[in-house]
Amino acid sequence: MRTLISAELLKLRTTRAFWAYVASIVVFVPISVALSITVANEQNPLTTSDGIRGVFSAASSGLLMAVLLGITMSAGEFRNNTATPTFLITPDRTRVMAAKVAAGGILGLVLAAVSAVLTVAVATPWLQARNVDVDLLSADVITPIAGALVALALGVIFGIGIGGLIPNQTIAITIIVVWSSIIETFLTGFVPEVGRWLPTGAASALGGTWTSEGGLLTFWAAALVLTAYCSSAAAAGTFVIARRDIT
Amino acid sequence: MATIEIHGLSKRFDDITAVDGLSFTAREGAVTGFLGPNGAGKSTTLRMLLGLVTPSGGTATIDGNRYTELDAPFRRVGAMLETDAFHPGRRARDHLRILATAADLPSKRVDAVLEEVGLADAGHRRVKGFSLGMRQRLGLASALLGDPTVLILDEPANGLDPDGVRWLRQLVRTFADRGGTVLFSSHVLAEVAQTVDDVVIITAGRLVAQSSLANLASRSRPGVRVRTPQVAALHEALTKRSIRAQLVADDALVALDSTPETLGLVAAGIGAVIYEMTREHFNLEEMYLELTATAGALR
Repeated sequence: MRTLISAELLKLRTTRAFWAYVASIVVFVPISVALSITVANEQNPLTTSDGIRGVFSAASSGLLMAVLLGITMSAGEFRNNTATPTFLITPDRTRVMAAKVAAGGILGLVLAAVSAVLTVAVATPWLQARNVDVDLLSADVITPIAGALVALALGVIFGIGIGGLIPNQTIAITIIVVWSSIIETFLTGFVPEVGRWLPTGAASALGGTWTSEGGLLTFWAAALVLTAYCSSAAAAGTFVIARRDIT
Repeated sequence: MATIEIHGLSKRFDDITAVDGLSFTAREGAVTGFLGPNGAGKSTTLRMLLGLVTPSGGTATIDGNRYTELDAPFRRVGAMLETDAFHPGRRARDHLRILATAADLPSKRVDAVLEEVGLADAGHRRVKGFSLGMRQRLGLASALLGDPTVLILDEPANGLDPDGVRWLRQLVRTFADRGGTVLFSSHVLAEVAQTVDDVVIITAGRLVAQSSLANLASRSRPGVRVRTPQVAALHEALTKRSIRAQLVADDALVALDSTPETLGLVAAGIGAVIYEMTREHFNLEEMYLELTATAGALR
């Protein structure tokens, strides 16, 4: 299994598309920090717990890109016909998918760690300049960073599952972008009691992206809900790929 | 060393039967040409043999084992199925490194196969800029990576220039002469005639012929081509005398195993006008076309 995981990580590192995804995730972080600091006002001051969490939620701002990266890990094999050599070497397709999930989890953790370091590096001096004292070991900083680690790792795995279910990469990416940015945004805005149970709503609870009165799930409930979505997607994607004819 | 055995293999996709009760064997130490027109079911058969497509019925085995049951299949069977099974943005060498990593092969094999297929200088280049011939070579490099004893190639000569074709011939010949088993498909008999020991011919998913090339060649017979405006009447008269004939144009037919003398007599008997009559050697290629055409028409 270790060799298969190494092979999956090598697949990622050897394309420029992967580095473009990483770059976009890294670029999102300071933009997200800048937004939450500059939009702060008397109603939403930076000095509150919610204000600080909002700033440090930048650590999970690359979540959507992480999901899309997961899609390219599985659907990309069909887009480029590399599914053929991949499954010739390892005919047990469940093992291949397990290796992808493991590699995707590692990738998500690394992306979240990089995002977290960048968030702290950008946000801390900026907040100090605004005379806001930040205790980096407080729950308001630790929680959104821990949330980012969980959300990005699960996000990449979720994408791998979706890409297995919908092997047409373009269609899979379109569905996820439309779903998360239009349908879910609408649902969480107007029907928060439904929205908070959806993937993006749960991820927001983890990352501390929003702190609306609609009421998000608690950290642990959100982690459980997200784990359920991502393991169902990964299981369903694996089931479909294991039975598909590779033509 | 290994023998490939296909037994009663079938595959139905929704409403089409791509492979229909196909059986044949490819022996070790020999190059077996797997022939048939486009859409005859060659690729589907090879994909079933390699565990990529699940058969609707029958079995396809290598030394009695299904591909998916083999321990480290990549070290026993090398396959090339597509000319574009590469990420276009990836460097050729990286493509092979990934396969070597997944198969737990030493990275020195990567350089060895790049050298073997003549891509040593192109390894650092992205596949996007490769010609079809270079992609074929990279596909072959992937197949050879595990140093296998069985080589399965789908239309490997497509896109190769004449030098490339000659190189490919030598490669599979050497591979088989060292005791390896080679099964390779083509839709052109001429392409394989100089290389193969045995031929398996299929059309519409069914076996038409399996024989050694020598045996097939010995069955090729001389014929006579006749051009006449009464081609249908002449065809009927020949059939009555049990002379096999084939319409080849609106005003021409080819009579098999016959002589100009016989043809002249039969034509005179029905008062047919003959514009032209030539002896023809009914060659291997025509025999292949005839075999695949007749069997196709029977369906």
